[in-house]
Amino acid sequence: MLKLFLADLKMITRNRQALFWSLMFPLMFTVIFGLFFGRENNIAGTIILIKKSNSEMAQNFEKALDESKLFTIKKESNLEAAKKEVGKGQVSAIVEIPESFGEKNLENPVKIKLYEDPANSQVNAVLIGFVDKFFNQINFQMQNTKPLFGYEEEKTTQKKLSYFDFVLAGILGLVLMNSSIMGVGIAMSKYREDKILKRIMTTPLKTWKFVVCEVLSRLILNLLQISIILSIGVYGFSAHIYGNIFVLLGVALIGGMLFQLIGFMIAGIAKTTQAAEGMATAITIPMMFLAGVFFPIDALPKRLYSFVQYLPLAPLLRIIRSVALEAKPIWDNPNNLAIVGGWMIVMLFLSMYKFRLSEE
Amino acid sequence: MQNIIQVKNLIKKYGKLNAVDDISFEVKKNEVFGLLGENGAGKTTTLEIIEGLRRATSGEAFILGHDIKKGINNIKEKIGVQLQSSAYYQFLTLQEILSLFGSFYQKSLKPMELLEMVDLKDKARSYVNNLSGGQKQRFSIIASLINDPEIVFLDEPTTGLDPLARRHLWNIITKIKFQGKTIILTTHYMEEAEVLCDRVAIMDRGKILTMGETHSLIEHLKEPFTISFKSKQIQEKTLSDLSKLSEVKKEPGKVDAFKMNLKTQQEVNAALKYLAEIKPEYLNVGRATLEDVFIELTGKTILEDEEKNA
Repeated sequence: MLKLFLADLKMITRNRQALFWSLMFPLMFTVIFGLFFGRENNIAGTIILIKKSNSEMAQNFEKALDESKLFTIKKESNLEAAKKEVGKGQVSAIVEIPESFGEKNLENPVKIKLYEDPANSQVNAVLIGFVDKFFNQINFQMQNTKPLFGYEEEKTTQKKLSYFDFVLAGILGLVLMNSSIMGVGIAMSKYREDKILKRIMTTPLKTWKFVVCEVLSRLILNLLQISIILSIGVYGFSAHIYGNIFVLLGVALIGGMLFQLIGFMIAGIAKTTQAAEGMATAITIPMMFLAGVFFPIDALPKRLYSFVQYLPLAPLLRIIRSVALEAKPIWDNPNNLAIVGGWMIVMLFLSMYKFRLSEE
Repeated sequence: MQNIIQVKNLIKKYGKLNAVDDISFEVKKNEVFGLLGENGAGKTTTLEIIEGLRRATSGEAFILGHDIKKGINNIKEKIGVQLQSSAYYQFLTLQEILSLFGSFYQKSLKPMELLEMVDLKDKARSYVNNLSGGQKQRFSIIASLINDPEIVFLDEPTTGLDPLARRHLWNIITKIKFQGKTIILTTHYMEEAEVLCDRVAIMDRGKILTMGETHSLIEHLKEPFTISFKSKQIQEKTLSDLSKLSEVKKEPGKVDAFKMNLKTQQEVNAALKYLAEIKPEYLNVGRATLEDVFIELTGKTILEDEEKNA
């Protein structure tokens, strides 16, 4: 059995092209999201500042805008030229500080002008929020009053977390799902098509030994994938992983096994390799978007959420995030473990029922 | 001689189709037994039932004394199987594949010795995909020998090979026979069966039409002699004289070429007398072949059938 396990490992590492692409896809996501959201980067977008006033108020506004680090600020003097840049999509909004801004004129106060590109609503929302907050404070100061109502902010975790951390944990689940469902589903179908499974059937090798060696060798691949992605996320893009790395790898192994079982089920049902490819894609792509790899799924319509939260990847991602980002134990939310366990049992039975080395 | 395979009333149904239709046969130790027939005759299905790859609808088979229904694991230790057009792992070398398959058995032979036997020693570190068609088949055959089996099953071992590679493979199969192994092979090449097989069973539509020692099947033909000839100037009279002895058939796919099957030596002599008058460009007198046996039994040639399928 050891020989078969080692042979399986050899085959995985020698199939350079498949190995490359199984790593390339999640790595691409890691790098793209890392570039956008990694490295403590909170910048919402680029804006143009046209400052025509040198009043104290104008200076304070510019300083506050600068210190907020919410935007990349470009300076410009000509409004038309600035509008052209917005038109080209290079800039999301323009903030114009008119000449007499900041002079006390109670009758007819001069206001800051915001020119927004409707296509960049996210940047606009941040900009309006900033400007609103700035002037509220100034107004209260000028009128020498204090706000009566307000709010206090308290984070549910004291740990520093960013959107990239959320996505990185999602990508870990994604790579487990893709490489296991695609890898096992397609490889086993190809083995069937090439009659390799049939050839093995002619030997006294027990089916369970064949399957166990396949699963174990692929789990090693999973560990390698997870380690590479975590290293790039943490060292390349300053992601925060607070949990124990070994516990996280343990969760990855559970996930890998679950998705491999789905892969075996696909190989059991699909009659050709092409059919297996189609089925694997039909399962992985919707799950990638609906199970919460890139965004929290509780924002989805309630009916949809009540369904998608039980997809195999969804509870796994909840466990990965709670272990990796909040340093909680695996069993922190037993429901998630129960759903993953339930899926594993269902898939185990389905693949045992459907997956055969022989054609009969 | 001892029967090491016994098949009794084997039936395999797929829906209404009887792929194997109540066949029985025995294979003796150290013989080469051939299952002959066109594609779809049920040869491979029969073989795969005996190998434990398919379940029979009814009937029984015993291999080396073990019932295939109960003792298939014991059987698998002692048989070697070469499947029709089976591939091997893409990313393992020949030596690694043999060593891996050897690890599935209680006893196994040394990979390099097997590779040497079929002149593939220098390819030991190559992948299967880098081999030619003939080399792949040779490898496939030695892979079936890795456990030093008592019985070797070869399913269409030379299909798709050029004539030279085919003859090379025949030598290898003969070598295996001389190692004391029993071989069961399927083929639709009559010439191959004639060269290699001690006994053959001719199958058609799931049934065994006839079975026996290869030479004896030919000798017991109604018309065991053949004359083939080519002549552009054959006259009606000659044709009519010859037709009195036996049917003169045109050779399929050839111009001005004819063939006759004859019952006795006297008939051969008479036909030759008529043919001497027209001085044919080509004349061949010979013994009938297995192909003639097949034609006599089924009324068709395998070639005709394959053309129909193409």
